[in-house]
Amino acid sequence: MSAPNCLRCLVRPSAGIPSSTAPRTAAHAAARTAAPLAPLAPLAPLVPRSAPFSTTAANARPKKEAQGKDSSKGHVRAGKRLTLGKFKKDRVAEKGRPPAPGERKAYRKRITLSNDNAIAVPWLTDLSPTDLADPANIAKVLALPDEVQDQLRASEAFKPTQCWGMFRKPAVLVRKETVDVMSRMQASVAKRQTLRLALTGDKVSGKSMTLLQAMTHAFLNNWIVIHLPEAQELTTACTEYAPVPGTEPAQYMQPVYVLKLIQAIKRANEKVLAKTYTVSAHPELPQNIPANTPLLALANVAKEPDAAWPVFQALWSELTAQGANRPPILFSLDGLAHVMKVSDYRSPAFELIHAHDLALIRLFADALGGGVQFPAGGAVLAATSRSNAPRAPSMELALAQREAEQAARQKGDVSKDGSKAGVPQRDPFFRGYDDRVEAVLRSVQVLRLGGIDKLEARALMEYWAASGMLRATVDEKTVSEKWTLAGNGVLGEMERATLLTARV
Amino acid sequence: MASVQLRLRGVSKSLNGRARQPLEQQFQSLRLTTPIVDGRRCLSTEADQTERPSSITAAPEVDLRQLAKRYKIAQNARPLPVSRSYFTRTPIFNDRYLALDHLAKTYSNLPVIPAADADRVSWKTLADLRQSFGEPVKATDYVKCLTIIKRLHTIHPELKPDAVTAALQDFKRDVQAFLNVANPIPIDKFGRALGVGKRKSSTARAFVVEGDGQVLVNGKTLADYFGRIHDRESAVWALHSTNRIDKYNVWARVEGGGTTGQAEALTLAIAKALLAHEPALKPALRRAGCVTRDPRRVERKKHGRVKARKGPTWVKR
Repeated sequence: MSAPNCLRCLVRPSAGIPSSTAPRTAAHAAARTAAPLAPLAPLAPLVPRSAPFSTTAANARPKKEAQGKDSSKGHVRAGKRLTLGKFKKDRVAEKGRPPAPGERKAYRKRITLSNDNAIAVPWLTDLSPTDLADPANIAKVLALPDEVQDQLRASEAFKPTQCWGMFRKPAVLVRKETVDVMSRMQASVAKRQTLRLALTGDKVSGKSMTLLQAMTHAFLNNWIVIHLPEAQELTTACTEYAPVPGTEPAQYMQPVYVLKLIQAIKRANEKVLAKTYTVSAHPELPQNIPANTPLLALANVAKEPDAAWPVFQALWSELTAQGANRPPILFSLDGLAHVMKVSDYRSPAFELIHAHDLALIRLFADALGGGVQFPAGGAVLAATSRSNAPRAPSMELALAQREAEQAARQKGDVSKDGSKAGVPQRDPFFRGYDDRVEAVLRSVQVLRLGGIDKLEARALMEYWAASGMLRATVDEKTVSEKWTLAGNGVLGEMERATLLTARV
Repeated sequence: MASVQLRLRGVSKSLNGRARQPLEQQFQSLRLTTPIVDGRRCLSTEADQTERPSSITAAPEVDLRQLAKRYKIAQNARPLPVSRSYFTRTPIFNDRYLALDHLAKTYSNLPVIPAADADRVSWKTLADLRQSFGEPVKATDYVKCLTIIKRLHTIHPELKPDAVTAALQDFKRDVQAFLNVANPIPIDKFGRALGVGKRKSSTARAFVVEGDGQVLVNGKTLADYFGRIHDRESAVWALHSTNRIDKYNVWARVEGGGTTGQAEALTLAIAKALLAHEPALKPALRRAGCVTRDPRRVERKKHGRVKARKGPTWVKR
């Protein structure tokens, strides 16, 4: 045990060794242990020292000054060295806690649906079930009801790139194309048929938004909505996959994704699923589901990824059971190009798996291609994306063909067995076409979204102005200016030109 | 001596042999037949011009002795220059100045038009004047002269005497920039006006027709072609600043340069085409900065430098 004071140098042991005297004191200590009776070393003159501790964190940090100086000095023969930023050395940037893993992404991907600082728009009314299909509502901005907001959020219909967070309440502009799609949906349900439609168009022209409006319409009319929010999540090999047993050629299920999907379906369609009952028993599931059980209970069976795919299959077979009392179904997908190509997954033989061999995508492709009959009708919608889209030449060609055929049909020149004037054909020198994709898209309808017209632009800008986001008088001049700057009324570009360009 | 006529005091006109000449004729001896002979004064003081053919010939020598034999009074004769400015440093300029002064006094009663309505003429600058007359004209004299010139120039063109026109001729620059009138841009049978604009190394051709504000640049919409909002605004700035954005459609082809250059070339092209439709917009467009071509180009690189001006890094050895 050491004495409270070092008898030789009168320094308390709790104090650190002063750097100037360090070598000597070290020698001291050695001498003290080895030969307690060595003669007294010459005492270093004791300089007044500051307290050995401090309550301030910055001061309590051991000073590295002396060491730094030494190291920069180097050997005496090295000469004088250039020291850059010698005044900056001491300053240690106070860094806060670094964000936890995933925190940055969560912040980037968060969806804010309301802004309390925005002005509430007094004349804004909530959507009613028939509003979106009513031509009288064209060029009107209508709000999403709270309940539908929750449902849409559950099915991930909102995207972080959309400007929801600027307004008090989420609201949508009803445009001509909206009414067109909704009335097609209504018509097909009335005939118990399935509308199969691909939405395409320029960048930020509102494809995903039209999808969202279709989902809103479906939710408001008590449809069942199954939405695949990002097709790329299914094909870029970022979620687990496993072969479905007993399939030849092998198909692959994606249990984790499907579990998430089932939960989303459950949350979004809770009311409707609770009122829909199974027609057959499902003894193969982990929990026995007898006939006449609410579908909600069936969906609840999926608690682990292992059981997710069988449960989804059971749910799908129940939803498409012919002759049963079923609500109409909307099955939608965003980012069509990702599912119309070879995926990034590999088979056990290390061959790339075609996206249509992934079981969930095959389900969607079947439905889009017309292979599934919904008992009460419904719609299969797919939206292409222009910003995040791999090249899918067959898809592009097929959509262009369908569009040309539609245009020809509308013009009225009905050519027997398709003498196909003006319909684009395959490039004979290009090898990247995909027959499976073209087979799926052989009979879909295509709707091209372009710019909105000036009436709609005006309604939208009036809403922006009423929300306090646009601080300019909305007159013909402003409307046409923004309309032109936005490339003839491309909706997202109008937002960019008006809302996202800060001019203070 | 050249350009000196002998005049005998008290000798009658007939003695002098000729009637009194008009001023112009008197000046003839002082005048260079070609007004500017590359800045060189080529008056010769030699009576015999045999070796060097010159446009200016000196008066024949007057033999006063012979004359005095016949007229006694002739022995008191002394030569007088025709021009009053003969003994000045700047006789050419002074002669013209005096002539202009005389004309200004003579025709001071003629009606004038506002200066803005007179034809625009670029007068010789002081440097030009010195160069062409080959004389060290003083700046103050030049200014005074120019005042008279401008006064004379505003005389009503229908009443302007030929003498004035001729006198002013010497003070006009050889190249009259104001005579270069741009060809008016026609509006074709489809109602299109084609304007051409350039900026940096971009060239734009814009067809402007009456319409509702659609813009196509190289077959794409404005939003497709220009990613930056700023560029889009520059491109349609001519229409925007005159509140015509929803009155016209634009179909344009742009080539060369980068996005900014292309956008600003479009500004100029659209402005010119718009002026063909509505010439009265010119002041508004000029205020918006859409009329003048920006002549700046990339500065050339110099030897010994990394770029046009950037110096190489300093190295100790």
